[in-house]
Amino acid sequence: MKTTRHISFKALAIVAILTAFTLPSRAQTSDTFYSNIDWQFNFPISNSFANKASGWGMNFEGGYYLTENFAIGGFLTYHSNHKYIPRQTISMGDNSSLNTDQQHTVFQMPFGIAGRYTFNREGMFQPYVALKTGPQYARLKTDFNAFQNDDNTWGFYISPEIGMNIFPWVYRPGIHVAAYYSYATNKGSVLTYDVDGMSNFGLRLGIAF
Amino acid sequence: MKKLIPLLLAIFALTSCEKDADADKLDNKFVVYTNYDKSADFKQFNTYYLPDSILIIGDKDKQEYWVDTNAQKIIDTYVFNMDNRGYSRVTNKEEADLGLQISYVKNTYVYTDYGYPEWWWGYPGYWDVPYWGNWGGGWYYPYVVNYSFSTGSFVTELLNLDAVQGQTEKLPVLWTAYMSGMLSSSTDVNVQLATQAVAQAFSQSTYLTNK
Repeated sequence: MKTTRHISFKALAIVAILTAFTLPSRAQTSDTFYSNIDWQFNFPISNSFANKASGWGMNFEGGYYLTENFAIGGFLTYHSNHKYIPRQTISMGDNSSLNTDQQHTVFQMPFGIAGRYTFNREGMFQPYVALKTGPQYARLKTDFNAFQNDDNTWGFYISPEIGMNIFPWVYRPGIHVAAYYSYATNKGSVLTYDVDGMSNFGLRLGIAF
Repeated sequence: MKKLIPLLLAIFALTSCEKDADADKLDNKFVVYTNYDKSADFKQFNTYYLPDSILIIGDKDKQEYWVDTNAQKIIDTYVFNMDNRGYSRVTNKEEADLGLQISYVKNTYVYTDYGYPEWWWGYPGYWDVPYWGNWGGGWYYPYVVNYSFSTGSFVTELLNLDAVQGQTEKLPVLWTAYMSGMLSSSTDVNVQLATQAVAQAFSQSTYLTNK
């Protein structure tokens, strides 16, 4: 009895998902443009300069469907991550030392072109895979007491992304969720800290138009 | 070009979206920066002379000194640490191997350009070389200092008074300590910040000893 109930529930869930994916979305059928505005949560995974995850970022993206499923467009993202460095004495070379605590910041702002392949464009749930690339501006900064030291850098950015636009009601906007990985070639130095390459993992939640 | 302006303005607006780190997490103690002459043998010195006042670098074009009890607390911290390192304070600078001069940057009003190292030497009334002896060639810094100064900073220089004197000789600086940070509205807190910073300057300068 227990097994039957379990199977029935599973079957019901599969049917519900399939139904949701094949439901027609009245807002979608004739549209050739898309855009997303998102809040994002970013986890730096390669640099130790400022590697605390944070939600201080946004993503803006828009594009045009060249075919039924494939769209090309542009994007701009920005994000700030921080890290507190407790007070310590840093050797600044052969004959000098600096004693201070610090607040590190990495501000990343990539922008460029985005390619997106969307499945089930007629449905309420529209999953997609995407690839974004372009230049990335990044600022490395340390604040210590009343002082500041920074380095403005540029690099090449690439980011695969998976996500989904959800249109649960008749008219737009809908909901957008996504997960991404990104890598940028930015290099920079602040005080005695060096950064060579920036990798991130992140999540986005926003509005789909 | 006109079409670029809105784009540049948009980029500017977005870069201003950078989120600053939380400054409240910082401990607000002074930043302490020290330099020294690597070729110096600090064990060869035994005595030092330290004036009973701190030179104030302010908005006046003549010498001004800080001599109250708060200044004395800061000077006493130097004396305590120098004595701990095995040096003896003497009251006659002609007998001293080392000279210690302390300056407090009250503000940088007098200067229009203080971005270069050792700018404070140009301050009217700054500790001048003839105060210490006959070094006609002026100061000699055997190492590069690379920092900027701001209001509320202390500058300490340790001088080699055993250096050869003469019309063309220079007075060598052996050690520099720069301490700076935001000041509080309480004088007691500020004096405490300064004395902590002086202790830290010695703590991170373990080479400064004759033991």
